[in-house]
Amino acid sequence: MNTKSYFFQSFAIVALAFIAFIGFKQILPDKIFPDSKVDSKNVLIDSLLLESVANDSLSLKGDSIAESEKKEAGEKINFDAAEGIEFPSETFDNYKGYQYLISFYEKLYQLEKNPQAKVRIAYYGDSMTDGDLIVQDVRSNYQERFGGNGVGFVSITSESAASRASVKSTYSKNWKMQSYLNVKKPISPFGVNGHVFFANDKANTTWVQYEAGTNKYATTLDNPTLFYGKSSKKGNVNFIIGKDTLRKSLVPNNLINTLKVTSGSIKAFKANFVHADSIPIYGFNFDNGSGVHVDNFSQRGNSGLPISMFNANVMQGFNNVLKYDLVILHYGTNVLNYGTKNYSWYQRGMTKTVNKIKESFPGVSILIISTADKSTKYDLEMKTDSAVVPLMKSQKRYALETESGFVNLYTLMGGDGSMVKWVDESPAKANKDYTHFNQRGAKAIGKLLYDQLNKGYEQYKGLRENRKTVDKRKTVRKTNTDSVSVIKDSVNE
Amino acid sequence: MITTDSINNWFVQNFGTVTLEQAKSWFIYNPEEKLLFNTGLFLGLFLVFYFVYAFLRKTFYLRLTYVILFSLFFYYKSSGIYFLLLLLSSVVDYGLSQIIYREAKVSRKKIYLVISVILNLGLLGYFKYMNFMIVTYNDMFQGNFQLHDIFLPVGISFYTFQSMSYIIEIYREEIKPTKNYIEYLFFVSFFPQLVAGPIVRAKDFLPQIYQKLNLTKQDVNNALFLIIGGLIKKTVISNYISINFVDRVFDTPMNYTAFENLMASYGYAIQIYCDFSGYSDMAIGIALLLGFKLPANFRTPYKSTSITDFWRRWHISLSTWLKDFLYISIGGNREGTFAGFLFPSLFFFGLLLWGISNVNESFIPLAIAIGSIALFCLTFLLSKKKNQTLVTNFNLFTTMLLGGLWHGAGAQFIVWGALHGLALAVHKMFMEFFPSKKEGKSSNFLWTFFSIVITFHFVVFCWIFFRARDFETALQVINNIGQLTFEPEQWKVIVLGYKNVFLLMLFGYVWHFLPEIFTSKMKFVFDKTPLIGKAIILGFVYWIVYATAVAGSQPFIYFQF
Repeated sequence: MNTKSYFFQSFAIVALAFIAFIGFKQILPDKIFPDSKVDSKNVLIDSLLLESVANDSLSLKGDSIAESEKKEAGEKINFDAAEGIEFPSETFDNYKGYQYLISFYEKLYQLEKNPQAKVRIAYYGDSMTDGDLIVQDVRSNYQERFGGNGVGFVSITSESAASRASVKSTYSKNWKMQSYLNVKKPISPFGVNGHVFFANDKANTTWVQYEAGTNKYATTLDNPTLFYGKSSKKGNVNFIIGKDTLRKSLVPNNLINTLKVTSGSIKAFKANFVHADSIPIYGFNFDNGSGVHVDNFSQRGNSGLPISMFNANVMQGFNNVLKYDLVILHYGTNVLNYGTKNYSWYQRGMTKTVNKIKESFPGVSILIISTADKSTKYDLEMKTDSAVVPLMKSQKRYALETESGFVNLYTLMGGDGSMVKWVDESPAKANKDYTHFNQRGAKAIGKLLYDQLNKGYEQYKGLRENRKTVDKRKTVRKTNTDSVSVIKDSVNE
Repeated sequence: MITTDSINNWFVQNFGTVTLEQAKSWFIYNPEEKLLFNTGLFLGLFLVFYFVYAFLRKTFYLRLTYVILFSLFFYYKSSGIYFLLLLLSSVVDYGLSQIIYREAKVSRKKIYLVISVILNLGLLGYFKYMNFMIVTYNDMFQGNFQLHDIFLPVGISFYTFQSMSYIIEIYREEIKPTKNYIEYLFFVSFFPQLVAGPIVRAKDFLPQIYQKLNLTKQDVNNALFLIIGGLIKKTVISNYISINFVDRVFDTPMNYTAFENLMASYGYAIQIYCDFSGYSDMAIGIALLLGFKLPANFRTPYKSTSITDFWRRWHISLSTWLKDFLYISIGGNREGTFAGFLFPSLFFFGLLLWGISNVNESFIPLAIAIGSIALFCLTFLLSKKKNQTLVTNFNLFTTMLLGGLWHGAGAQFIVWGALHGLALAVHKMFMEFFPSKKEGKSSNFLWTFFSIVITFHFVVFCWIFFRARDFETALQVINNIGQLTFEPEQWKVIVLGYKNVFLLMLFGYVWHFLPEIFTSKMKFVFDKTPLIGKAIILGFVYWIVYATAVAGSQPFIYFQF
């Protein structure tokens, strides 16, 4: 065996290897793992989004937006007074649009004066709000201050049911579900949650079971009420509460029908559906009848575009019972990954969505929440994805165009590079996918959202106090009358 | 013609322009960029360091000092100002070890030993466990103590154990102290194993300092082979599957299917093995390039046929350290001591409390508590030599509990240690009843296969507790896996969705379970490769590491089923 000192040979190998590496770097591809495209038919993503992206790639991409953007940033936004209240003017950069939330703020004000009143919020979102993350924190913040008990409207089945702690729901596997995510022409129209369920298994019972969670203000199921739609056939449902079974019949005469399981608060119950095969079932509502209630309509893979397919008549049916005052649209995560920075197609699509909301819930205030920060690896470093800011801006544009309030979640959580901080922080506030918040982060986000909304409310109260004698003729909300004309607005060109 | 300009252009093209600012950052501590073996910066610094080292090979103190300075710089790059802590503790330990060595009276020797152990553990305790203790206290007694803002110096668990081994071995008169502080500091601060082991024992390492420094061709072959394997394991397999799959599932297990949870558990098992053993292999390889032989730290642990076997193959330097200095110190298999009974009793008492406090919700926790206590008692009650087995098992359990806690300050690490401790005790009982199945004998293939599968799955099960951020998350993962049903179509979709991750996992496991003959064949071929060929192979591995590091993370996906 060679026992001669081998130090310099050893050094030579390591040094030559370095030179070899430089060579390999030049001739071999940059990336070792191809960015494999997953077959989209197996992935939860809405079909309208895929279509829009496909159409967009056909059109020409103009990248000369830089100049106009600079101008836009400083542009002054003046508001017209509504009900004698006029918020101070804003710039596009800092746009919040409290002015367009006046009807919601007025309802909150009325609730503060009369605790028996009701305010209801519909919170539409994507996987960011799965498992009631963020929404449960917004809800408890409101219920803490304004009163109210209950988690609001809950679907029959949900792929995130297991991760939801604010209400536990389990269900039989034989439910047939259609979702606005990937079905264009449902058998019966979609419900307010974007889903419709059918109990059409003739051999086995189709059931769903709810149990109250441990969250504050949601430790009981208050006035559980079933929502179901129109059908030519009747059906039955058995509610099992503890040891009692209540047999009730479903009378599907109207577009939207309700059936109260029981009055008052219970801990848990089970619903067995019998011979209800063709009746569209939507879900159960849990609220104590006063205070603030927030419904979580989260759907993984949703871009927000499918809302534009809602049947306005059915939604009005829901609205007659639930009476929404604010609709929140919290989307964006699912439109970041398409290599595009020109979001005019998304802006157009979401304008349609907002108009559909206005048509469905007449007079409701609308709040757009922008995409949060999201990081992607550039070279060796995780940085804010280059699509985040363009998307956030386009979201701000359709918020402004449709006269909706706006929360810039990206700047609210810290702006550029903030997601990396949220992930790396100890204890961490976001997950290693650099996209989703965890429990702790969601709580922080919920608080940030509530605080911004509440800041507007406090300002509203001040303005209300100081307003001149109210001109009663101006009570018709401006946004409402606009909703018809906006559909044909020039934004579409 | 090669001109300075063309060289300059080539340089700029390949490395970008190097600004003064950048050059400065190479030498200044940055908490976000630790100096790991698998970084380009380390490679660059090492090349320069190694070149000079080769010239110093015939000197002694100059070479030691040179390595010490580089080691301290290396540690400064990982922990900033805390390199002073390393220096301070080494001064104190060196002083105490001298006193112990010179002291003739055994009782006095013992006092100094106790002081040194308390000092070392106290330091480790403050930096690593202070906040854990405060949180535990606050939770248990509704206390309201503020958490301390403590920075955990990198590798403190490793070098503390290493210094302790030196002092205890001197106390036990197994080694003689070094001639002076420089030699001692060289041993403690030796950068290859400084931050992540292996925990080198003084009696293995010190003699090598005094030997004439030599490096044979065979040494270099061994070293490069270890470094190549380590780089692939650590940076390709471990890093990629953790960021793109395992971390996500363990972040929110309930958002993923049962199959994804199961695969994440298998994924974590190969991830932690590749991470840990890969880094150890690199450390051993780098030390070898400098002419120092460190003991092997992992021997394909998932091939173990029993849990006892596992602990002879997993993190060997830690398990032997714990055996020699903890297990034997608290009595081993000879006698019971207060410490040996204290920790298991506390643990089982805590477990019982947990069971009772949850009895309103579910009887399962109480059943688990009573069941594990009964099981532990059975492991010595059923034994023929009851008293000796009782003592052994209590001491063993203590060792595993504290060994678990060594890995991190958290209840889940204690649970992990306890599960392994319990399994070791059960395995001992099993061996007493079925001595014919003792290892070493050529038992039949089916039985070996069955033992490996069982042992592996037990280890994976325990890793769930080790990985999950808290106990609740661990239970979520386990519950979720419990819901697994046979749906090959769904599995196929998931596997295709995470194609890269699953391929790497497969690669990792196949590599791990390959018969040793394959590795030695590969090694044989590598040894025979000419120098330039080795350089090209190593360069190619550098490229793989680089290309994996720049690979963007896979965007999150939710499947629909």
